[in-house]
Amino acid sequence: MKHYTKLVRPYLIWSLLIIVIPLLMIVIYSVTTGGNTLVNIQFTLDSFKKFAEPVYLQVFLKSLQMGLITVGFCFFIGYFLAYTICKFSEHAQNYMILLVTIPMWINTLLRTYAWIGILSDNGILNTILEKLGFSSISFMYTDFAVTLGMVSDFLPFMVIPIYTSLSKIDDSLIEAAHDLGANNIQTFFKVTFKLSIPGVVSGIITTFLLSVSTFVIPKLLGGGQYMLIGNLIESQFISVGNWNFGSAISVILAVVILVAITIMRKIDPEKTEDE
Amino acid sequence: MEERRIQKKHKTGSVLYIILCFLFLYLPILVTMIFSFNSSKSLTRFQGFSLTWYERLFTDNEIMGAVYVSISIALLATVISTILGTITAIGLSKSRKIIKEIIINVNNIPIMNPDIVTAIGLMILFSSLKIEKGYLTMLLAHVCFCTPYVITSVYPKVRNLDPALANAAMDLGATPFQALTKVILPMIKEGIFAGVLLAFTMSFDDFVVSYFITGNGVKNISIVVYNMTRRTNPTINALSTIVIVVIMITLVVVNIVPVLTKKRSKKNLELEKEGIFISKNERLKKYTGIISGIILIVVIVLTSYAGNKETLKIFNAGEYIDPDLITEFEKEYNCRIIYETFDSNESMYTKIMSGETYDIIVPSDYMIERLIKENRLAEIDWSRLSNRDNLNKNIMGMNFDSENKYSVPYFYGTVGILYDKTVVKEDDLKDGWNLLKNTRYKNNIYMYDSERDAFMIALKALGYSMNTDKKEEIDAAYNWLIEQRVTMNPVDVGDDVIDNMIAGNKALAVVYSGDAAYIMAENQNLEFFNPDEGTNEWFDCMVIMNSSEKMILAHKFIDFMLDVEHATANSSFVGYTSPVEGAYQNMLETDYKGISSYTPVMGNKNNEIFRYQTAETKGYFADLWTKIKAH
Repeated sequence: MKHYTKLVRPYLIWSLLIIVIPLLMIVIYSVTTGGNTLVNIQFTLDSFKKFAEPVYLQVFLKSLQMGLITVGFCFFIGYFLAYTICKFSEHAQNYMILLVTIPMWINTLLRTYAWIGILSDNGILNTILEKLGFSSISFMYTDFAVTLGMVSDFLPFMVIPIYTSLSKIDDSLIEAAHDLGANNIQTFFKVTFKLSIPGVVSGIITTFLLSVSTFVIPKLLGGGQYMLIGNLIESQFISVGNWNFGSAISVILAVVILVAITIMRKIDPEKTEDE
Repeated sequence: MEERRIQKKHKTGSVLYIILCFLFLYLPILVTMIFSFNSSKSLTRFQGFSLTWYERLFTDNEIMGAVYVSISIALLATVISTILGTITAIGLSKSRKIIKEIIINVNNIPIMNPDIVTAIGLMILFSSLKIEKGYLTMLLAHVCFCTPYVITSVYPKVRNLDPALANAAMDLGATPFQALTKVILPMIKEGIFAGVLLAFTMSFDDFVVSYFITGNGVKNISIVVYNMTRRTNPTINALSTIVIVVIMITLVVVNIVPVLTKKRSKKNLELEKEGIFISKNERLKKYTGIISGIILIVVIVLTSYAGNKETLKIFNAGEYIDPDLITEFEKEYNCRIIYETFDSNESMYTKIMSGETYDIIVPSDYMIERLIKENRLAEIDWSRLSNRDNLNKNIMGMNFDSENKYSVPYFYGTVGILYDKTVVKEDDLKDGWNLLKNTRYKNNIYMYDSERDAFMIALKALGYSMNTDKKEEIDAAYNWLIEQRVTMNPVDVGDDVIDNMIAGNKALAVVYSGDAAYIMAENQNLEFFNPDEGTNEWFDCMVIMNSSEKMILAHKFIDFMLDVEHATANSSFVGYTSPVEGAYQNMLETDYKGISSYTPVMGNKNNEIFRYQTAETKGYFADLWTKIKAH
């Protein structure tokens, strides 16, 4: 029986080196000053104090807001899509889910890049609008463009787990609810939706995680002046060179996401039973 | 009957909704595929069918190199993380509870952490350990975030196994290794397969982690795409289309093959019933064959990568060289150039500070001054530059390096405003830089996304020196920029200004004179002017880092770039003004004939050159700039 326990050791060491230590280093950088080397560092909370300035808090709130809006759209569009797919025959379902998965396999950057061609001032969408007799609209570099890009990129991450939960529901439960006198709406909220919560929770966690931390989509579709928390971190590491401040923001981002995940997990009945 | 009709109606609604959703998901993919066959460069208008971009794709060294890096890293990372993940998952099920919990929780970190946090953690780790960034660091990082996905897909399968099975095998005389390979692995192969698929896609699609931890010119597809989005290049559409088609075929095969094998195994069963026995060994042989095949490919790929030619590492701004010149130099001197790009002097400096070294870099004036003061540059041996007399003497000996001891001019120019003659009133130009605050052009402005240039504009508009270190003046400039942001709603752009202005998307744009020349050659409605309040005269020069061990080759490269023919090709490609007199004259007669901005207006006494800032002033500007961007 004990023959295989040693197999864990390589990963134990590996994960310590390449997962735990980097995280500790981010934390160390966030509470020190002294530039990009660990020589002559000094302990300070300046980076966190700096983040408390209104401009940065605004960036933070804006990221949360964009994250929540994206999650909201993904949830409504995605839940309804998963629910609708479940109505079809098993054979058709498999093909439709395959179609939902394919975009996930294709590079996010490539897909976002394509949106630029669609949304730009002389882009495809505006060409169509003009042909239909409308005046053209500036879509690019707006909240709309960024939200659209994020929803289109992250939607599959919402649909798949919800579909998995929904497809597991035993039809006889729904029939039973109907037999017991529940109408369609009651059955949906009291039976179907409740049973799909694990999928919903997992979908919301993933889309929130992705949309709060992305810096590529806002940069490409929002322009250089569009700043979310991911862009703030990127600029501190790539152009400004203030690794301490960048690390502090990363710590805050990681903590916020951890808190969000914990809250979402509480809602999920299956997971709590599991632990 | 009634119910059926309702259901049918219901179903058309459902079908419609599903179609709409798929349209939304597939629109960008379809657009990419369609425009990969476009005969023109436009991403918005289809002008006829052609395969040009596919031809270009296969001759584009940068893209093919990136394809190679993406595939080989994904294969290696998948193999390593699958092996590591699978043995860990097997060991995990037999481990003590505390170890199990530690590993499962640590394993969740890369899954639950945002990519960017994982990325900067690894970046800090590699720079502190002074590990040279490149292929190896990218591979390690990919194994880091792929393994957890393998473990999470294999572990549940292992947990569901009957522990008695392995014991039974060993009781019957199997060694633990045999029990592992012959009993356990076949039973969890579905989990492993799911893990392989996940690991491969995670690695193949990764951008964020690779972007932060790469170096030495090692780029995967995502990084190349990211650098390309600044200037339209439809070859990337051709590449996407190929990737999309390959993925679709693979997924269809993966989803259909199990159905076929099921049918076949049924057939086998029937054959067995009939007394024909197919040996298990044969199947095992097939698997080992496939695995060793993959490993062989990987090894071949790896060895082909490590060439033994002399290499020269160059760090230049993005889209700032004619790529053919690199190939030509490599051929002529039988060497390999590792060519990396940066998007600003500041990001170049940050990269050098994080420990990267290069032979040649191409920074601007103030950054050269800084690098000289910090003792990072080697002196140029002018006697080795046979083409030195080709240089325009008027732009030598500038204040940042008054005797050109360290720097050889590469391009030079000014910053000004590019405007659409059909929209902007000639009269408004009198406002100079304050034209950028004229509300007639609200929502109609591109600003250049650069800290020093943005402050230069504001300081000049207010009549101050752009090299000021007085807090009141800097604060006034900060307020000018914030006010402009609020009243004018400008868009900050980098090199994407080029495509946008060629397309005529906005009326005003702050651009470098060289970009203006390139844009004006494509769009006749545009004109360029330098405000009377003065502007930034800038000089980008080639310098050699003093850490370089390739002094001779580096000088050869610089000399190569000073050759009239090469400088002409470079100036024609980039659009910037060449310091090589002959090339400049050539351009005036050909590509940029009649285009005013190709000849920078340098005489204005209000013009200045950027100077190196003290750490304090620099920090003050950087803070305000972050605030402006965050506003």
